[in-house]
Amino acid sequence: MKSHDNRAWLLLVPAAAVMGFVGVVPLVTVLNFSFHDIFTLDSLHWVGTEWYESIITSGRFHASLARSLLFSALVLGVQLPLGIAVALLLVRAGRAGLLMLLLVAVPLVVPWNMIPIMWLSLINPETGFAGQAMAALGIMFDYKFTALHTWMLLVVMDTWHWLGLVVILAYAGLSGIPRPYYQAAAIDGASRWALFRYIELPRISSALFIVILLRFVDSFMIYTEAFAINAGGPDNATTFLSLDLGEDIKGFSYGSAAARAMVYFLIVLSVVRIFVAVTDHRNRQRPEASA
Amino acid sequence: MSVLRAAALLVLAGFILLPLAQTIVLSFTATLPHDGTLEGSFSLINYRNIFASPALVDALLNSLIYVLLNVALCLAAGLPAAYAFARYRFVGDRHFLFLMLAFRLTPPVVLSLPIFILFAQFNLINSPVGIALVHCLFNLPIAIWILESFIRAVPREFDETAFLDGYSLPGFFLRHLVPAIAPGIGVAAFFCFIFSWVEVVFARILTVTAGKPITMAINALFTFQTDIGLVMAMTVFSLLPGLAMIWFVRNHIARGFTIRT
Repeated sequence: MKSHDNRAWLLLVPAAAVMGFVGVVPLVTVLNFSFHDIFTLDSLHWVGTEWYESIITSGRFHASLARSLLFSALVLGVQLPLGIAVALLLVRAGRAGLLMLLLVAVPLVVPWNMIPIMWLSLINPETGFAGQAMAALGIMFDYKFTALHTWMLLVVMDTWHWLGLVVILAYAGLSGIPRPYYQAAAIDGASRWALFRYIELPRISSALFIVILLRFVDSFMIYTEAFAINAGGPDNATTFLSLDLGEDIKGFSYGSAAARAMVYFLIVLSVVRIFVAVTDHRNRQRPEASA
Repeated sequence: MSVLRAAALLVLAGFILLPLAQTIVLSFTATLPHDGTLEGSFSLINYRNIFASPALVDALLNSLIYVLLNVALCLAAGLPAAYAFARYRFVGDRHFLFLMLAFRLTPPVVLSLPIFILFAQFNLINSPVGIALVHCLFNLPIAIWILESFIRAVPREFDETAFLDGYSLPGFFLRHLVPAIAPGIGVAAFFCFIFSWVEVVFARILTVTAGKPITMAINALFTFQTDIGLVMAMTVFSLLPGLAMIWFVRNHIARGFTIRT
């Protein structure tokens, strides 16, 4: 049992100081900028909520928001089930499973701006393995000008990049399940689905909680990879929220960029808040599931 | 059934390995005409070119310095905080954890502009200290979560015995707690190292004229006539520290990642 002691805050001082400097101060600065028109940093002109109004009512914002949401939905829809399935496979594969676990972790250590470079080389029709194979099969893969192909490339590339995170965290939960649980389930004649639903899923639910949040936010705000593949093209078909923000910053439109950043931050924050509230609620209803 | 499973594993391995194989093959291929090598032939020229270029070697070192500094910072600030969360309840503990989660999930692009302005005032541009500090934004929460779950697994009596033996809190941390949760320190260091190593947005905006990390050095190689073989050789190098880290924590990688809010 944990004891109640407010002096524990003293132990948080270093962490709070660092987070204050790199988190709270910049956030307050963005908030302040977002209400100003900024020519240079010395001349701020108060404009109230003008930036917010023009962003929220613009069709471009709605379109980018829809694209970002679609991308997140695709990413979660593909990577979550696939990652869990792979983890289930690896837990039963023993020594080979552990090696595979290390292999799927490798894409996680590739610097983010290298990933598009690797994939563009791979699908290059003249020098890339996949590009040559597709050319030989007569498949015209044109990520530059066909929106569907750009999207496919982004989703496949992102899956390659991040599948390992889902697999590692799911694997961690699964490998901790004691063998007698499975034996008991076998005696009861439980179906494969029942085994997953009532024994395996509860063990990985807390790990899935953070996976879903991390994958949602990182895909929702994808920048480096999406920009490198096609800079938002073709014809803005892959212009996500973060690419709009990058454009504002590059155009020195700091007031507008700050307001945009705040809007994005609030979207992310509300999703997290709702998600935490829902999980808390479920854990309180079924306390045994949170173990 | 087991044939199906083996086939699925093979397909997965192929999917993961294909882009890596492409990178490695290209890194050993002469992709621009150089003296004495035929374009498209096997060659070590790309690797020789890396070491012939001081800018590329410097970039490797710059990256290593700020990543290691970041890991040290996250562990030093994260360990006492993790201990506080593992052992005590206090006013605002849940709010602090939620704030940590919120900052971990804040996209770097959102804060890039004010961080640049703030760091310029403190002379932290072009300096590894600046990048190491800003990467705490997403790594410190992770370090606290991981360390907390490992500390919680240590029984309370362990602390009390040490205090009865006359250890002060810092002495207890260094002599008793750190050895007891060594795997947890390893896993936390692993994730901090990786996330700092692969991050690009902050690393780019905070290095304007000097101190370029390896990721930016690779970007700078893209010109009118890009030597893609050299790019791929650098990419292979950028993978090595991460691969080494995976190997070090291979027995603990899949443990201790419970996030509380």
